[in-house]
Formats: sequence, structure tokens, C-alpha cells
Amino acid sequence: MSAVAPHRRLRKTGWYIASAAIVVAFLFPVYWIFAVSLKTPREIFKFPPAWYPATPQFNNFLVLFRDGDVWSIWNSFVLASTSTVVAMILGIMCAYSIVRFKTGGENLAIWIISQRLLPPIAIVFPIFLIYSKLGLTDTYQGLILLYTAFALPYVIWLMRGYIQEVPMALEESALVDGASRWQILWFVVIPVTRNGIFATAVFAFIFSWNEFLFALVLTRTEVITFPVQVSQYFGAQSTFWAKISAMSVLGTLPIFFAVAAFQRYLVRGITLGAVKG
Amino acid sequence: MSGSASGRADDTRLFKYGLIAPATFVMVLVAVFPLIYLIVVSFQRISLSDDITSFSGLVNYARIFSDARLWDAVLHTLLITVIALPIELVLGMLLGYHFLPDRPFKRLLVALLIIPSVISPMVAGSMWRLMFDDRYGPINQIISWFAGERISILWTINIAWAYPAIIITDVWQWTPFMFIILMAALANVDQELLDAAAIDGASGWRTFLEVTLPAIRPVMMIALLIRGLDLIRLFDSVWQLTRGGPGSATETISIYAYIRGFQEFDTSYIAAVVVVLAILFSVGLVVVLKRMAIAR
Amino acid sequence: MRAMTLMSAVGGALLLAAQPALSEENAAEKAVDAAKQYSGITLNSAEEAGLMAMLGINITGPEWKELTGIGLNVTEIPFEELFPKQMLEHKAGSGAYDIMTIGPSWVADMVRNGALEPLDPFIEKYGVASEFDDIAPAFKDWMTYDGKTYALVVDGDVHLLYYRKDIFEDPENMEAFKAEYGYDLAPPQTWEQFGQICKFITDKYAPELYGAGLINTGYMHFFFSERLRTYGGKFFDPETMKATVNSQEAIDALTDMVDQLDCQPPGVQTWGFGESLSALSAGEIAMTISWPPIARWAQGINADEQALSWVPESTVVDKIGYALPPGGHPELASGIMLAVSPDSKNKDAAYLYIQWLHSKQESLKNVMRPLGLRDAFRISHYEAPEYQALWPTAPDYLATLRQAGEQGYSDLAILETYKYWDSMGRAVVAAIGGKDPKEALDDLAAEWDGLTEQIGVDRQKEAYLEWAQKPSAYRE
Repeated sequence: MSAVAPHRRLRKTGWYIASAAIVVAFLFPVYWIFAVSLKTPREIFKFPPAWYPATPQFNNFLVLFRDGDVWSIWNSFVLASTSTVVAMILGIMCAYSIVRFKTGGENLAIWIISQRLLPPIAIVFPIFLIYSKLGLTDTYQGLILLYTAFALPYVIWLMRGYIQEVPMALEESALVDGASRWQILWFVVIPVTRNGIFATAVFAFIFSWNEFLFALVLTRTEVITFPVQVSQYFGAQSTFWAKISAMSVLGTLPIFFAVAAFQRYLVRGITLGAVKG
Repeated sequence: MSGSASGRADDTRLFKYGLIAPATFVMVLVAVFPLIYLIVVSFQRISLSDDITSFSGLVNYARIFSDARLWDAVLHTLLITVIALPIELVLGMLLGYHFLPDRPFKRLLVALLIIPSVISPMVAGSMWRLMFDDRYGPINQIISWFAGERISILWTINIAWAYPAIIITDVWQWTPFMFIILMAALANVDQELLDAAAIDGASGWRTFLEVTLPAIRPVMMIALLIRGLDLIRLFDSVWQLTRGGPGSATETISIYAYIRGFQEFDTSYIAAVVVVLAILFSVGLVVVLKRMAIAR
Repeated sequence: MRAMTLMSAVGGALLLAAQPALSEENAAEKAVDAAKQYSGITLNSAEEAGLMAMLGINITGPEWKELTGIGLNVTEIPFEELFPKQMLEHKAGSGAYDIMTIGPSWVADMVRNGALEPLDPFIEKYGVASEFDDIAPAFKDWMTYDGKTYALVVDGDVHLLYYRKDIFEDPENMEAFKAEYGYDLAPPQTWEQFGQICKFITDKYAPELYGAGLINTGYMHFFFSERLRTYGGKFFDPETMKATVNSQEAIDALTDMVDQLDCQPPGVQTWGFGESLSALSAGEIAMTISWPPIARWAQGINADEQALSWVPESTVVDKIGYALPPGGHPELASGIMLAVSPDSKNKDAAYLYIQWLHSKQESLKNVMRPLGLRDAFRISHYEAPEYQALWPTAPDYLATLRQAGEQGYSDLAILETYKYWDSMGRAVVAAIGGKDPKEALDDLAAEWDGLTEQIGVDRQKEAYLEWAQKPSAYRE
């Protein structure tokens, strides 16, 4: 008996060491880009590279503010949050209808999820041509419409799962009390699925926030998003690591906060609800 | 107001279709309508030098089969997919097993580990471009340190190393995704079955093959499907790492189409290419889904 | 009545006041005066990402704002995407960019697509003829197409060879080199000499100092076009319009280019403009071939300017010599012109900003700065006393620059040139990345033939023959 305890403790320690090693290995690139963003441009060009900034400074970030590059973060924020809100409202309505009334049957549900299978490169060409004709390139509206549409299948699919878990009895008793269907949706279903809604919204937000291809094609000056801004620092002339790292950090921090706040819902969000987490 | 039954049914019908209408409208607008337009364009002749919008027959389609660069791009995409996907699956599974036991701080460790998968793939590509940089990146430094001499691997320039660079980036970013899904699936495996197998004296490997694998298979298949589809459309990270180079050696389908369509303005031809690839892709997808259903 | 007299009196006074200005017109002042009426608007300008754009963001934009009240909003776009992004913008017709940045070989394609606003009416209205006469012929040629002016040059680019005088003039080195190779150690006249000198220095000094550190990523079509022609190669067969970029001369050129990587620092394959400049400034390489701003950077001119920390502090001040690259016909590699978008809502104001930058007075300030990467393009720049006095060897630099402009190769300019360039750039980078040079060039020739066929052999032939008859095309 007494021999087992140290053995078990050893195993446990081993597990933590291994876990820490895995986490460090996976987070090292993230650390590196943070470290570079705090180096002076001169230190960035040092060879061999320094493993940590000798005197961390925020000048690389200040340059982004001075030159107005940070507007791209604001643009990303406007686009991602608006499209998330719209997609959540439309998506919840649609999901509720599908769950409670079996609207459209299996076919509609499958058609909706198949929207996510569509390769973006297939529609980026026609979208560009159509948007050019309609004057929708480089506008918030144009990208918000797209990002809403891209988020919808995901929102509907996940919300379907959450709404299915709402006890029928709850809705029935509200019906008996004389509430309309609409009232039930807003005052019964939505409050009950609150947590699921937040989790879904965070993921919808992250998808829009990270989107690159459509933003690359459809933005010019007014609504450049942060991934497009970063990509513009790579060029034949040179690769501007100071700006790249600082902008990447600015664009990644919000994601970190979102993950920290909603880590409980990560699994479900990531797996499209295939696994209940 | 007290209403007949049919009036009530009409209300419900109006309500339920009213609820799905806006969402469906938006999705049709953005997916179906452009696809139809894409097919129209593929029969026209729009390029930098021409702007012929009348029906031009199959000229664009005829070019597809002799376009070696296109089929190379298809091969590159499949190559990356068939290498990256199994690595991500196996690593994800190992990590899933490792993090299965409930221990203090497990949740924190898992949350940290998920970070690569929620970062913008474009930022991930930029990060790794920096990691692989011969002068300013740490990878060659670490390798040199182990080798004891200065090793300078030109990850994003050398044809032989560009693929490893792309695959490492993808594996880094998406193994956590696989891991999260598989860990959740593993946690859901019936403990009694596992105990029974252990009592029967089955080896760990046999238990895995005969008990665990069948149990997690559906979830695993979904994870593989999601990742497989993402790899087929791979663009962001490769764009940052190599822009399809050196030459066109690492052009994926998406990068090829972007360069030809948006940088070289071969609009109608690329429309035809995308139509053909979309058909091939859909057929492939149906086959895969069918097989998955049978495997289930 | 009284009011009338007063007004005519004022008018007369104004005329009188304007008189001296007319006799000695200044395009910069004229632009500023005319632009004041647009005070309050903001111009959007598309510029090459990096140092090029920093000029507008940090210096000329704020100055212009102060002078005229017109704001400048700069969008940075990497060089490779400048052409497609601006073309796409025109196709979308959003008028997102008022001011466009273009290279000479895009002019034909852009004009044919209506993507450039003809500038002649504006020049007539605001321009100063004498200032146009001052532009060096090589660069003036770029601005027009079919007799119309579409852009104003703001940056006259040409490649130069930069070398470390202290290494080349070291008596010990000179003696040892002569003993080994039988000729004097001096800036190489041929690519063969370049390889030998590079190897000689690397063998002696590496890893502290390498013989050369050339640019190997980005803009590779410029470097290969120069080598190809220096080796006697041509782009096309003028009879059949078949691509001849896989001729023996071309294969030799590319093979040497790849072989000569051996005497350069490890990892040089990934170097772009910035890396090569950094290495020269840090004293790590003895030769490089690059654009004109290198001289000012390496000399540490205006080293207190903002954003100069972009490259390491120069350790080679007063040690850099200037020469024509091997072969003596450097590529007049791109050069930057500014143009007005036909979709712009503020064409006059956009033109006036361009005229201001292009003017004698303002351009001289800009071509003397390292920041902004603008280079001499006027006779008056080469001769300006303040430029000549900027650093001890500045007269050498300006003389070499002028000679390079006069003897340089023009960039290929045919129909849809950028496609040929993109293809050439990919082939060269593939060879640098390890592909067999002959195979890379055979693939390139096949791609070029495909492009020519799509565009139309006869159309392309006509365009090519017109380009090829320029003396600067092949310098024979």
C-alpha cells in the first residue's frame, strides 16, 4: 500500500510535466509573435534572434495608431459584431421553427448544413462581379451580408441543438397561460438557452473576425479588416515584422478574451454540436 | 378572434414559415444566386483584354484539360490533405488520451491548448512564416543548436521544405481542434464496456480497436470531414507562408484560382474551372458521405 | 460705379502681383494655390506598401494638408498586388483610390482598359512646361502612351552595383586577387568577374563578410530580364513571336545566377530588398545590386528621420562605391509614377497633389531622402548643388545614376506584360528554390507561348516589335 502512493504521485507529476511541455510547444509560436511585437525594430533584425525582448516597448503598437492602421481592427469589429447579431436573430428564429414545427423537414436541415460545405473560392468570383455592379465592394453592408450568410448555417445548427433541450413542458405551460408563439420564443426559449446563445455568438464572431479571402477581394480603403491589413505588410520590398507582429497581437487579443470567457462551451462550439460538451 | 381551427393552423403556418424566411433568403442570396451567375460567366469571355458577355460556348471548358498548372494545384491540395489529416488525427487522439483523466488545472491546460485553433489562419500563417525565417525565426536556431552547427533551411523558398512548412503550420493549428473533439468523444465511451474488456484481459490496443474506436467513430468521422473540407479549400495560411511558391510549387486550388482570377483577370476561364471543380468536389463529397453512412 | 472701379483696381493689382510669378513659374506653388479651393476633402492614394508609402504617411501627406487643407489617406499595397488591386478597383468602379501608383509597363494595359485618366487637360490648366523639359529622357518616355500623358513620374529607378571600397581598394586584396585571376580587383565588368570577385572575398572573409548578397525574392523578373539581355538573350523571336526565354543564353544566365548563390551568405535565397540593404548596412556583404536609395541609406543620410530604425544603423558610412552592374546596362527597373483614377470624384485635387510631388522644388527634397525610396529623375536632380554636397561621394553617385539612366535596359512593355513577368518571376524563384534552370525556363517558355496565343500572336507581335525597336530594349 505504502509503495503505491509515491508511484502514483510520480505518475501525476509526470502527467503535469508532459502537459506543460505540450502546452508550451503549442503556444511557443504565439509567444514568439508577442515577443517580437515588443522588440525594437533593430532587435527584430538581430541575428541570431533574441529569445525575448531586452527592453519591452510598445512603439510598434504606437506606430499602428499613429498611421491609422488600427482602423482595420475597428472595421473587423463592426463587421463581425453586426453580422453576428443579425445572424443570431435570424438563426434563432429559423432554428426554433425547425425544432418546434419540423419546418422543411430533414431536407431543409440538410440543405442548411450543406451551406457550410460550399468552398468559398466557388462564390468569391461571382460575388465580386455582382458586388462591383451593385457598388457593394468596400462597404460595410456588403461584407455584413456575406458574413451573416456564412454564420447562419452554423448558428442554426448549434441553436437547433440548444433549443431541442428546452423542455416542452415549459413552452406548453406558457401556451396555456395565453402567450403567443412569438412571446414564447422571446420570453421563454431565449432566456432558457441564454448560455448556448452566448457561446454560439462567440463562435460566429470568431469566424467573421478571422475571415480573410472575401475581405481580401472585397475591401479597398474604407473597410479593410485586420487580416487584410496584416497581409499588406508582406511584400517584395521587405517583410515588416514589427507591424505584422503588432497587428497580429492586436487582432488576436480579442479572441483570447472570448476563449477565456467561454471555454466551457468550446467543445460544443467547435464540433458543430456533434459532441455535447 | 376565438377563431376556427383552420385559422389557427394558418397562423401557425405563417409563423413557422415567417421564422425561417429571412435566414433562408439571406443564404439563397449569397450561395445559390452567385452559383448561377458563376455558371453564366463561365460561358462568356471576360478577361483583361476581352469583355464579351454573349454566349461563347465551351471555349473556357476546353482549356481546362490541358491546364497543367491547374491539375498540379489539385494534386498539391490532395497531397497536403492526405498527409496533414492523418497526422492531425493521430496527434489529436494521443492528446485526447493524455488529457482524458480529470485532474486539477486540466480545464486551464485544455483552454490554452485550444488557442491555435481559434487564431485567424492568416495570422497563423504569418506566425509560422516568422518562425521559419532563416534570420529572424527561431526554428533554424533550434535545429542548429541540436545539430551543433549553423543549419539554414529555407523553409518557404526551397521546394523540398515548403510542404513540410505548410503541413507543420496546419498540424499546429488544427491538431488542437481534433484533440478537443476526440477527447470529448473518448470521455463519452461507456466505461462499463472498457472495464469488461479489461476484465477479459484484452490488451490496450485491442480494447481501443474493438471498444473505443467503434464508439467514437461517428464523432471522429465528423471531425475528419470538417477538417478534410477545410484542407481542400486551404488558402489563408499558405498564402502567408509561400503565396503558392516557389514558382507555383505549392499552389493549392484556392490559391491557383485566386491568382488566375484576381491577379491575372482570367475571369470567365476561372469561372469554368470553379464550376468543374465544384462538380468534382460535390461528387467526391457524396461518395465520402455515403461511405461514412455505410461505415456507421 | 464706385464698386466697379474698386473691383477693376483690385483685379489690376492682382494681375500685377501675378506677373513675376508668370515669368518664373513654379509647379509646386501653382499646385498648392490651385488646390486650396478643395480644402477640406480627403484624397485616397494607393501606394506601394512599406517605405514608399511612409513618405506620404509621414511627410508629404501632412505637409500637403498644412499647405492646402486637403487630407491624404494612404492605402498600402504590396508591389505584386498594386496592378491587380488597382485594376480590380477600376472594374468595380468604386472610385476608392483617387491617386494610383503605377509602373511603366502597366500603362498600356491600363489605358486600354480605361483605368487611367488622361492628364493633358490638367497639365494645360495647371502645369509648367519648363519643368517637363527637365525630366531625364529615359523616365519621360514612361509617362505617355499614344501621344497622351497618363502619369507623372515621381521616382526614377535603375539598378546600381554597390561595393565596399575599403575591401576592393585594400592593397593586400588587390595584390592577391591579381595574382589569382590576372586582372585588377575592381567593380566587375561581366557576370563571370562578378562570380570570381564574390568567391574571392567570401573565401577570405566569411562568415564575417561575404562577397555579395543579391536580392532573390520579389521583383525577380527585373533581375533576370537584366541578366538575360546582358548574356545576349532576347525575350521573343521577332518573326514567330515564340518565346526565346529558354535559349542557351537564358539558361546560362539563370544557371550562373543560381551557381553564384554559393558565394553569398547562407539563406540569401530568402532575401528581398530590405534584407539585402540591412546586410550591406551592417557590413556583412561586399557587393549588392539594388535600387538607388541604397546609397542614401548606407550613408546614413537623415538618420534621425522617423522610421529609419527599419534597417540597422549603417556601419559602412563613406565606404560604399557606386558602379554600373556587370554588363553595363542596368535594368530601369520599374520606377514609380502617379496617376489619377478616372473613377475619382476629386480629379483636380488628385492631379494637383501629383503635380506638387512631381515638381522640381518638391521632388528634389524627396529624392534626397532615404525614406520614401524616391530617386532622381530630373536633370536638375543630378546637378543640384545641395544634392552634390549631401555626402562626400554624392557626385560619384549622381554621375553613376545619370549614366545608368542613359545606358539602362527598359523594362519589357507589351500587352499584358505583368502576366509574363509573374510567370518569369515564378520560374526564377523556382530555380533558386532548387528546380533545374533549364526545366524552369522550358516551362517558362511554354507558359509565355500560351499567354501569347491567348492574347493573339499578331497583336502581341505588333506590340513587341514596337517595344523592341527602342534603343533601350537590347542596347546593341
